[in-house]
Amino acid sequence: MNVTTPIEQRDFKIVGKSVRRDDVLEKVTGEAEYTGDVKLSGMLHGKIKRSAVAHARIKSIDVSKALAYPGVKAVLTHENVPRVLHYGSPHPRSASCTKDQYILDDKVRFWGEGVAAVAAISEEIADEALDLIEVEYEPLPAVFEPEDAAQPGAPLIHEVGPGGNLVIDPVRINRGDVDAAFAEADFVLEGTFSGGRPHPAYMEPNVCIADWDGSNKLTFWTSTQTSFMVRGILAEVLGLPLTKVRVLVDHMGGGFGAKQDLFQHEFLCALLAKETRRPVKMEFTRHETFVAGRSRHPCKIWLKQGFKNDGTLVARDMKLVYDSGAYGSHGPGVTIVGTTAATSLYRCENVRLEGRCVYTNTPINGAFRGYGVVQSYYALDIQMDEAAELLGMDPAELKLKNVVRAGDIAPSGHPILGHGLEICLQHGIDVLDWKKLRNRDRMPDPKQPHIRTGWGIGCEMHGSSAYPGIKEQGNATVKVNEDGTVTLLTGAAGLGTGAHTALAQIVAEELGVRFEDVGTIHGDTDVVPWDIGAFASHTTYLVGTAAKMAAGKVRAAVFDRAAMKLQVSPAEIDLSEGKIFVIGDPGRCMTVADAMGPSRGIPAANIVANGTYEPTKSYSFAAHFAEVHVDTGTGIVEVKRVIPVHDVGRVIHPIAAQGQIEGGIQQGIGHTLTEDYIIDKKTGRSLNAGLVDYKMPLSMDMPDIETIILEAAPDPGGPWGAKGVGEDPIIAIGPAIANAIHDAIGVRFRHYPITPEDILKALREKGA
Amino acid sequence: MRRFEYHRADTLEHASRLLTDLGDDTFLFNGGTDLLVEIRERLRRVRNVVDIKQIPGLSDITYDETRGLTFGALVTVGRLERLALVRQRYPNLYAAFASLGSIQVRNRATVVGNVCRASPSADTIPPLIADGAFIHIYSRTNMRVVPLAEFFTGPGKTVLAKGEIVTGITVPPASDNSGKAYLKHGRRKAMELSTVGVAVSLTMEDGLCNDIRIALGAVGATVLRAPEAEAMLRGTSLDAATVKNAANKAMEECTPISNVRASADYRRDMVGVLTGRAIKQALEAFA
Amino acid sequence: MKRIVELTINDEPRDMTVDSCRSLLDALRDDVGLTGTKKGCDVGDCGACTVIVDGEPVNACLMLAVEAEGRSVETVEGLQPGVDTLHPLQDAFMRHGASQCGFCTPGILMMAKKLLDDNPRPTDEDIRFGLSGNICRCTGYTKIFDAIKSAATEMEAARS
Repeated sequence: MNVTTPIEQRDFKIVGKSVRRDDVLEKVTGEAEYTGDVKLSGMLHGKIKRSAVAHARIKSIDVSKALAYPGVKAVLTHENVPRVLHYGSPHPRSASCTKDQYILDDKVRFWGEGVAAVAAISEEIADEALDLIEVEYEPLPAVFEPEDAAQPGAPLIHEVGPGGNLVIDPVRINRGDVDAAFAEADFVLEGTFSGGRPHPAYMEPNVCIADWDGSNKLTFWTSTQTSFMVRGILAEVLGLPLTKVRVLVDHMGGGFGAKQDLFQHEFLCALLAKETRRPVKMEFTRHETFVAGRSRHPCKIWLKQGFKNDGTLVARDMKLVYDSGAYGSHGPGVTIVGTTAATSLYRCENVRLEGRCVYTNTPINGAFRGYGVVQSYYALDIQMDEAAELLGMDPAELKLKNVVRAGDIAPSGHPILGHGLEICLQHGIDVLDWKKLRNRDRMPDPKQPHIRTGWGIGCEMHGSSAYPGIKEQGNATVKVNEDGTVTLLTGAAGLGTGAHTALAQIVAEELGVRFEDVGTIHGDTDVVPWDIGAFASHTTYLVGTAAKMAAGKVRAAVFDRAAMKLQVSPAEIDLSEGKIFVIGDPGRCMTVADAMGPSRGIPAANIVANGTYEPTKSYSFAAHFAEVHVDTGTGIVEVKRVIPVHDVGRVIHPIAAQGQIEGGIQQGIGHTLTEDYIIDKKTGRSLNAGLVDYKMPLSMDMPDIETIILEAAPDPGGPWGAKGVGEDPIIAIGPAIANAIHDAIGVRFRHYPITPEDILKALREKGA
Repeated sequence: MRRFEYHRADTLEHASRLLTDLGDDTFLFNGGTDLLVEIRERLRRVRNVVDIKQIPGLSDITYDETRGLTFGALVTVGRLERLALVRQRYPNLYAAFASLGSIQVRNRATVVGNVCRASPSADTIPPLIADGAFIHIYSRTNMRVVPLAEFFTGPGKTVLAKGEIVTGITVPPASDNSGKAYLKHGRRKAMELSTVGVAVSLTMEDGLCNDIRIALGAVGATVLRAPEAEAMLRGTSLDAATVKNAANKAMEECTPISNVRASADYRRDMVGVLTGRAIKQALEAFA
Repeated sequence: MKRIVELTINDEPRDMTVDSCRSLLDALRDDVGLTGTKKGCDVGDCGACTVIVDGEPVNACLMLAVEAEGRSVETVEGLQPGVDTLHPLQDAFMRHGASQCGFCTPGILMMAKKLLDDNPRPTDEDIRFGLSGNICRCTGYTKIFDAIKSAATEMEAARS
């Protein structure tokens, strides 16, 4: 995209307004149909027998008792399913994938991996039958930490890949002369950082239903962000043409990135249905969403940076190790994105980065909002705070000095457009009167002498679209109906963000009709145009532009017809709120319906257009300001106030954009303080696979959030300059909290989650 | 979930017979908020449940100044939580009730059920023990009343024999010179299983503490008393230095374990911190 | 063993034939066909299955269907006062962006209804406390708080 491309301005009628989302009436009345609500006649229920060991060969598996159990209709094991090596993360245009999975293997690689599947007439019977399957394991030595897995001689988890338990070859980036720059630095900071294993914990457990018809066509309902990927991989593994696989998904109960793998249960559900010739439903328990779902990659980071005494950052040397878990899934993509992200955020000309992705015998880590960047920017931003402390500078000042600006090279290799991050940061500093906050009276409240307060800032940037890792394509089809209403067909999933509404707003705005006149069809791969999936903060940016293009095309076609009927040239007319009129003579007008309808000698119109858009990338920016209270007796940290300042380019739907930010902050607070999916380091067992011991912040834990959205740096790559917003908030809030804790108690934490025990231990070491 | 059979008892005698006659894997079913979870999560093998909720006479709540507060086995946590009497006279019980599970859970869960589950981290047990509560037990041959402090024999274990059923709990009256507190430590403010729970019930006379009971949750095989710490506090004015020493003593008296929620060391630390804070809060009744 | 359970659901007398170990949640969803009530955890930790039984909100997953005999159950499907009218909470949830993926919405609406029925002028703390057994993973709760406050104001105005 050319930097100088002007962004079209207009007097917006629909864009920028919080219109009523097209999906919410169904949601508040209980009528919205989610995958688990679908009920087919004769439907069986499938359940998965899960491994009780972390790494083993299956010596034998005896299903005879389970098959004989009344009500059981089929049992599958590695002995009777197709053995096809396939991707877990199925992005067909991506190099960042590894084929390392079988539907069922004679080897298990993590505790909880599926080893067999049962279909029965009820969920209870299927569940009971699992106990009757006898599996004999030949245990293999297991590794649960990337350090151990990367040791020479460590037990190998996979036969494929570059070896040494690496998922892909290390990602290496070198810019400038790092060694020379360190030699010239006035001081050098070095530290190790680490992140836990947060889990997306979407409210709707994974669920799918498979049904084969008489023509051997598979209809497959599944809660997925990537229905065309599910179609593609299912077809490939089952040996079917794409015409014989139809994937359906209407409403989704969240995903946050993690519902874009092709899951083991999805294959098994399809195969059980094929075997029994009856529809089969498979629904995860909450426990299974942890064990067999996808979490964020735990990460260990070594970071060394050189600074000048005036705060200029001159050198960055960084090594990142991402724990992929037992399979590749999104490990390659996360490693590439997270590592390349570290070229940016704070300007540095001399950069040496190395990212590794390592298999361990733990549950699979996958895509999750913030995709590798949560980890790397946590380190970058906290170390910037450390540098400010050493320099005796206000961290806001140092960050402001070093943040990337227009023309700097973004991680994607493109020049950054606009001063988005600087503007966000400065805006927050001004709104909060940051200097005064820094210099506030720090005496504890005599009523709560054990409470210390602190303020911190976290900065981030994140790309809309997965370019250049994946060459993406957005598609939309727009049809104008004979009554003047408009139908938008999109393959983008509706995982709860309001994306379909934003797309319909864009179409209505571009076309000149009312928002209410646009209907959206989605969620059926037999009907809607191909879509890469809803991820990478790109639906509004990528599919939005495609929808705008399609709307522009149908508008031109409608104008042609109207002009013919009005007997003027298309250039002489305009369209507003569904009315087409002659410019300068608004009395000569007709409705879109008039234009579309038949008239003497002219048949009713059939106007359909496709928009296809292959973007590069845009970046959104945010600075988060957070206030914490630290209880020095218990070590409990409470986040009291968050002021997130975001640049998302043109805002299409303000309330939906705010909702993304506020929800991301909830998840980010959890990651930083309380959420960690814990795997026992001796056995590989999950220790807290449930919603009581996996601790998400709830209503009483949430701070006041005062969201500020600036349209600081619109990007011409998105519709009227719109950029992504989904992932940004979860990245900035973590370092803001960690920095605020330092401000409160003078202790620097370089990991998450920061637990009460960590706080007390650190206070003790500090001698407080 | 595995299937089980449901039986509805009409009388205590009927329930007791079902519990003994239906064989192993038969469990009493009251609020069900623990039992159903244990069945779903495969933590307990259950073939039969015996629902006692239709048995008359187990839903009463009474209070008088001599006997105190008595409530039946079917009284939910939510019902007691909403009672003005509980809020005013037993702020310790109120704190425990209002922090147990969620509002939805509390509308099903019973206090007696929470007690009988005998979890060392149960919220209701520490304040009830600190208040010197008694538990009423039915059996087909004789009825008995047991001090709650003597009811538990281990995690998930009580003195109840097969066929015995707890019918209610009596909490002694709350005198005007008493102060009570229950502090629960968790990572969140709701939906938490206690990491450490500390209950303090004390009485003051002429500025001196004439009795105090400290009960510690989630730091032992059962909810524990801290008798040595209590002894250090009796007869004192509960001045800061004495309270600090007693809190340190309480740390020595507990026997926590490490698990996914917290380490043993941290739990012990919290016993110290929360004991001090709970005494301070209990004294606020006299401020 | 199957049992016939007679009860009232959203003011209509109903009966359902269910296995005695079936949860009220599964019975509502699979046997009665009211799928508005959601299953997010099945162990009482998330609140997505909140329904109101005899005036009290409970987790439908932690109650057996047989226990609903003779009782009155309210679900999200019964929240609308009329076919073409919405409960003020439903309207406020739409306007304020309180529903994103919507999976927690039915349970939160039932909880909020009970909250406002008992306490027409809730403080912020009352709302936070009232929702503490309902997990929302999308909104960060802010928009839900806004919606409930707004509905409370409107309901108050409608009464006076």
